[in-house]
Amino acid sequence: MIQNLRTEVKKLLKDKKVNIVIGWEKGSLPLSSTPLFIQKLEDVDKLIFDETCRNNFTTYLTKDKRKLGKTYDKIGIIVKGCDSRSIVLYAVEQQIKREDVIIIGVPCNGILEKKKILQKTDGKEILESKIDSKNVNLKGRDLDITIPLKDVLCDSCLTCKYPDAPVHDIFIGKPRKEVDIKDEFKNVIDFEKKSSEERWEYIKEEYSKCIRCYACRNVCPACYCNECFVDQNDPQWIGKTPEVTDSIIFHLIRNLHVAGRCVDCGACVSACPVDLDLRIMNKKVEKEIKERFDYTAGLDINEKPAMASYCETEKQDFIMG
Amino acid sequence: MSSKSKSVMIIGAGIAGIQASLDLAEMGIKVHLIEGTSSIGGRMPQLDKTFPTNDCSMCILAPKMSECARHPNIQIHIKTKVESVAGDPGNFIAEIIEEAKYVDAVKCVACGLCEEKCPVKVDDEFDVQLRKRGAISRYFLQSIPSEYTIDKEKCLCLTKGVCRLCEKVCPAEAINFDDKDKRIKLQVGAVIVATGIDAFDPIGFGHFGYKRFKNVVTSLEFERMLSASGPFGGHVVRASDNKEPKSIAFIQCVGSRDESIDRNYCSSACCMFAIKQAIIAKEHMKGLKPALFYMDIRAFGKDFDKYYEQAKGKYGVDFIKSKVSNISETDKGNLKLRYVLENGDIQFKEFDMVILSIGLEPRKNIRELAEKLDIKLNEYGFCRSDAFTPLKTNREGIFVCGASNGPKDIPESVVSASGAVAEATKYLKLERQELQEKKVVEKDVFGERPRVGVFVCHCGINIAGVVDVKDVAENAKNIANVEHSEDLMYACSQDCMNTIKERIEEHNLNRIVVAACTPRTHEPLFRETITEAGLNPYLFEMANIRDQCSWAHMNEPELATEKSKDLVSMGVAKARDLMPLKRLPIDINPKSLVIGGGLAGMTAAQSLAVAGYEVFLIEREKELGGNLQNIYFNFGKDPQKLLRDMIEEISKNKLIHIYKNSEIKKIDGYVGNFTTTFANKGTGKEKQFEHGVVIIATGAEEHKTEEYLYGKSHRIVTLVEFEEMLYEKKFPGRKPKNVVMIQCVGSREEGKMYCSRVCCTKAVKNALELKKIVPKANIYIVNRDVRTYGFREKYYTELRDKGTMFVNYEPENKPQVKFVDESDPDSKINITVFDPIMDKEVVVTADLLVLSVAIDARKENIELGKMLKVPLNEDGMFMEAHVKLRPVDFANDGVFVAGLAHNPKDMDESIMQAKAAASRALTFITKKAILAEGTITEVNEDRCSGCGYCEIICAYKAIEVDKEKEVAVVNEALCKGCGACVASCRCGALDLRGFSNEQLFDSFEALDLVDVLGK
Amino acid sequence: MKDWQPKILAILCNWCSYAGADLAGVSRMQYPPNVRVIRIPCSGRVDPLFIMKTLQSGFDGLLVSG
Repeated sequence: MIQNLRTEVKKLLKDKKVNIVIGWEKGSLPLSSTPLFIQKLEDVDKLIFDETCRNNFTTYLTKDKRKLGKTYDKIGIIVKGCDSRSIVLYAVEQQIKREDVIIIGVPCNGILEKKKILQKTDGKEILESKIDSKNVNLKGRDLDITIPLKDVLCDSCLTCKYPDAPVHDIFIGKPRKEVDIKDEFKNVIDFEKKSSEERWEYIKEEYSKCIRCYACRNVCPACYCNECFVDQNDPQWIGKTPEVTDSIIFHLIRNLHVAGRCVDCGACVSACPVDLDLRIMNKKVEKEIKERFDYTAGLDINEKPAMASYCETEKQDFIMG
Repeated sequence: MSSKSKSVMIIGAGIAGIQASLDLAEMGIKVHLIEGTSSIGGRMPQLDKTFPTNDCSMCILAPKMSECARHPNIQIHIKTKVESVAGDPGNFIAEIIEEAKYVDAVKCVACGLCEEKCPVKVDDEFDVQLRKRGAISRYFLQSIPSEYTIDKEKCLCLTKGVCRLCEKVCPAEAINFDDKDKRIKLQVGAVIVATGIDAFDPIGFGHFGYKRFKNVVTSLEFERMLSASGPFGGHVVRASDNKEPKSIAFIQCVGSRDESIDRNYCSSACCMFAIKQAIIAKEHMKGLKPALFYMDIRAFGKDFDKYYEQAKGKYGVDFIKSKVSNISETDKGNLKLRYVLENGDIQFKEFDMVILSIGLEPRKNIRELAEKLDIKLNEYGFCRSDAFTPLKTNREGIFVCGASNGPKDIPESVVSASGAVAEATKYLKLERQELQEKKVVEKDVFGERPRVGVFVCHCGINIAGVVDVKDVAENAKNIANVEHSEDLMYACSQDCMNTIKERIEEHNLNRIVVAACTPRTHEPLFRETITEAGLNPYLFEMANIRDQCSWAHMNEPELATEKSKDLVSMGVAKARDLMPLKRLPIDINPKSLVIGGGLAGMTAAQSLAVAGYEVFLIEREKELGGNLQNIYFNFGKDPQKLLRDMIEEISKNKLIHIYKNSEIKKIDGYVGNFTTTFANKGTGKEKQFEHGVVIIATGAEEHKTEEYLYGKSHRIVTLVEFEEMLYEKKFPGRKPKNVVMIQCVGSREEGKMYCSRVCCTKAVKNALELKKIVPKANIYIVNRDVRTYGFREKYYTELRDKGTMFVNYEPENKPQVKFVDESDPDSKINITVFDPIMDKEVVVTADLLVLSVAIDARKENIELGKMLKVPLNEDGMFMEAHVKLRPVDFANDGVFVAGLAHNPKDMDESIMQAKAAASRALTFITKKAILAEGTITEVNEDRCSGCGYCEIICAYKAIEVDKEKEVAVVNEALCKGCGACVASCRCGALDLRGFSNEQLFDSFEALDLVDVLGK
Repeated sequence: MKDWQPKILAILCNWCSYAGADLAGVSRMQYPPNVRVIRIPCSGRVDPLFIMKTLQSGFDGLLVSG
């Protein structure tokens, strides 16, 4: 697979179909990967794709939109399912021109969640790792364990229905097709069953951990505002210290800002230094959007965004009387 | 040429009179609006909800009423009668008598103390005798003008010289028993009659037991019962036992479609009215079982059939096609209906309540008025007008609109009102109006710290009787930035306004808060006041401590005072952040574009030209006329002559530029400033012109059907083809003896749930024509409901009298069509249909089968809709701004619709709507410029990421992402300031002037409340 | 807690609900004086953040009507 990918990327560069390709290269530490910007053919061989390719690099397409987009006419980007859905979002929201980006899809089997691995290894340093289709083997000083993959994959990957880049120009490898996930919203449904007091306690407890580092926002592909509302002063939307009500409002507003836009790539979860349960509310909103508007983010460039369209037949049970 | 005037008299201030007044006033014409009762509004305020959207009637009417009251060009004369109209068109002298009101309108604050104390109690007309009122009263709660008036027939002082209680209790000293009737002469250029209708009184219908049986009520009484502001607060109960009814029967056509009482016409609105009441009643009382007894359901208007289907399906209303012959009362007060089904079966059913769907009839006093105006009435006693001049009376210069000349529902009344205005313009001087220049120099408050002045109004005892006004004013002095605070007796009185102006000078105030009544009525007044003191009008905020405080909390004075203090604090918090706003002038190009040269388009162009304005008329085909080219009969009138005359007239008119065989390529711009590019279809040559408004009159097309073997035989034709045959008197083979017509081909079925409105009348019309040629012809009209609404009913009766069979069918059991000789398409046709009257299947062998095919929306509407940024409904017809009150407008200004492009309609209706569109267009192009709103969205470009959500959300197409700059740009001419885009903006790049995030946040946080976590 | 009274903020559309609140007053309909009203041009103006912001400011309940 990886050879085919490299061949294809070389071809694209050679044929001048793209000026630059964004992908992953091996990181300096085990189980890590870092961004690779390929302009020269000799760099292509650094390209990798495996379970360590955590980061959603599509943010490069927008956060530096005005730089990257203006420097390069055509950008190639290698994407997992969730990454490709982010690109669809950008096209819908006019952040990129679809024709300026060559989307190269690769079949994704899920990405490792380092936090889960850390728990398994009791924090021992990993010096060597080997991944096969079922297990991951980790070696280090006083360490040699084999863990089933499903125990250390990201939560998002475990419920991912679209591992294959639903929208792409080129696809390398064998597609996994749409995965049948029965309990996609299990965490939400369990949460909904709790009493409102229990839910409030949970949210209060969770969000009181927040240190307002904004890592979740910084990695989020859907957060590309020039100036985030938390940073604005006129008006000051919310207080800027980690006071708990302000933290709650920050997260709830972020949930609403990514409503109908979040592709559940899990980047925020991986980035959070205090292990907040960030996914529960995002998933809740995703479920609501799915049930109310029959909308799933990042699948169709031509569909109007859920939060910007209105249809008279929509459920309106929140209206009294 | 006759003389022209700058004023008009409009008789009747219902929705038609109001609409006509507003249109004329906007054109710069002085309007005298004459009303017999003590308030404008007419019938609409009596209605609870309106079909088919279930909008609250009063909620949609109230803004128009207050606009009428506020407009400097409209003078309302309540309790007024017209005595005579002398002179000639363009220069009439009208004499009116304004009855004494005995209350000084300037002083009265409408507090209602007088009526409370009035010892006289009489039946209230507005609530159809279901409630009592005083001899001093208002017509209804939201009356305009809001002042009270005295009923001189009932008042003890005026009849017997005793009492005068009202005078004693009036805090404003507004009662004046010396008031006299006034006789006034008005010089007007034209007169518009908009006196409306009365409701049929079923007292003579003994077999229905009205007034004999307590639980039999009229539909109008029932409407007041349903109304939340009605005598029962919206809680429907039976008069006999005060219990909620479990079942309700509606009986249709009470006083309509009844030759025996000289009412051989259909009242047009009652079917929908009853369906609406059934739906609303069901929403009030979940378990209710409503049933509707009818002859035909005439749901012929736009989106009516969808509403009807909803009533049948979702609401479970039982529709029973039958005639109710008798009602008897049981000992429990229930009502037993005896009714006859189509097949002759007699049945009985018991109901808790019966609603008589009473018809519309001419005003009781219309004959008297007609004599004074020297206009003629028709055979039913309505004002007489003609199918091709539906807004004209027999006297030149006097026009008619609303239901005065025939039953109409609300949108039709509005359309006819605007249409009558277009007719009247012929006798009016329409000069292009300049923007009103402000005389006072505005102070520059930029950079100054906020210096807020607070004024707390007593409103006599209306506020001060409950709220401690002095305490509220004193308390306000402690709020940050409040420089001055005081209490005033009547803040809106002239002397108090002067006080406010003085204080602004004295304390150098730069923000003003008035705590008084509601900004909805009084904000304009106070804004004007502070403008006179040199402040920008937007530096003003109101705290509503009367309507939403003292009046609502009369028994809790302390808490009401607390609330008032809070409301003032919130008002000051917002006021602190207020900024001066400008309203930008938008120049208006006086030329118009009319798209489509059919009857509607030609009529619109002609009307605009008659008013003196230049028009570009674009027609896609090689000839003008559109669908009118295929219409040959109209009950004795000649449509082809109308077509010829019209083409000749508009071709001669130098103000009308006609471009035939031409197609629109592009339309850019917005109200006042459109640029259109079009091309000749033959040469391909493109041309461009600029104009201020657009009228869409693109028509519609005949449905292409494959049903009923259409296209397989020359014996099977459409309605239009049949009409041509009748005109040419050329038939396939010999003159047809047996003719079958099938109605609703492609209408009123799944996916196309709308009525094509004209086909029933056309079928009747053509059947009558055939009878002229072949008197012995056997005609079978196979129909779903016969929808010959209004005065068209007469022809239906005539045709039935001549022996035509009407056979009803249901869509699940459509007629079957076969050739007699299956191998020979030239052979006659066998039509098999279930006949509910015979209660069995019948086969008719026909020489000719006529299909009444639907009227379809044009596919081109989609493209045109995109160019003009206006929406279509699900059937592909253009969707007006509001189905009831803005039937020819769109949400974005400067674009109008008329004719079949809007919905299927008859010729007279197309003419009216075209004139209405012209009139609405004139309200813009008679102005040199208009002012954009002040409270509109602004964009912080640094924050905008250009995601385009605002563009999708905006209903007015007033914001879009600039392709170059990649940020949102507001079109200030189009923005209505609703703020929906602002709420949608994640980036905080958008904000709404006058209701900014900062201003709202500051009001949220103005109060000292306990923290959410209990800290 | 027994005498506790909630403070409720109502954000009302100028064209319908605000007019409705006026009408309630004109009709002298009596309701508890716990409500503070803010007038907005359209209920579409309501940013979800307003809801949280008002609750954070200490209001116990919020009515958005339009």
